[in-house]
Amino acid sequence: MTAAPRLVDVRGPRFAAWITAVVLAVSLVLGSGSLVAVQAVVFAVGAFAGLRYAPYGALFRVVVAPRLGPVREREPEAPPRFAQLVGLLFAVVGAAGYLLGAPVLGAVATGFALVAALLNAATGFCLGCELYLIARRALPARA
Amino acid sequence: MSGIGAAVVVAALVLTAVAAWWLRTRNGAVRATGGGGAVTGDAVFARLGVRPADADLTVVQFSTAFCGPCRATKARLQQLQTTRPGLAVVHVDAESHLDEVRELDVRRTPTLFYLDRDGQVIGRSSGAPRPDELTALVDAHAGAGT
Repeated sequence: MTAAPRLVDVRGPRFAAWITAVVLAVSLVLGSGSLVAVQAVVFAVGAFAGLRYAPYGALFRVVVAPRLGPVREREPEAPPRFAQLVGLLFAVVGAAGYLLGAPVLGAVATGFALVAALLNAATGFCLGCELYLIARRALPARA
Repeated sequence: MSGIGAAVVVAALVLTAVAAWWLRTRNGAVRATGGGGAVTGDAVFARLGVRPADADLTVVQFSTAFCGPCRATKARLQQLQTTRPGLAVVHVDAESHLDEVRELDVRRTPTLFYLDRDGQVIGRSSGAPRPDELTALVDAHAGAGT
């Protein structure tokens, strides 16, 4: 964590958030736990392997970015990467709900992930990042 | 086609719109404090190494590693400092000061506290402050040089 932070084009996570929102909305309309599970895998790759390997980020770099202008702003990878982890938690609950016979739980959990993705896509606001301090506050202090 | 799913999509869109509106109106807005009966933060700020007597206006910024807008806010304050010698800025890593975070009821990052020379908290804001509002507040208390 002491190394220089890895930077990403700010437009990448925004683009990824739009794709995520579409995938989650389609999952909900179809009631498809499998599609939520696929999105969970996408979140997991971004959270654990890093945004360089995240599928939607790769799509952005290869297909979208070359058609846009040059990079104007970069941001550290840590906040959007942490958001992927929060998304993963909701997507896992959502997929498990659908696939284990609790469709209402599945839909509600997937719905929360959809709100976070939509908010990030539309305004750039990172809900997962905001929850970080609230979670740390609630937990006992670490040495 | 899932009825519950479609209803959740609609609910999510409404919730997102409400949240976006709330953020637009409230994010970064400076709230006046003082007189509210809250515990005075003097001792807490002293523990954080804040010395308000050294400047006309001291801005204390709480940040975390997972906070995107904190970076922009920090840069903005640094930029203001170059032309306003009466402005002091203290950056606090919220995660390593959780006791102070709880005592000052910091819930979001960035949260900024604005202290005058007497150590009085004259305002606080959560979320990235609007550049013009921040500049105006700084100029009102730590004038734009001489």
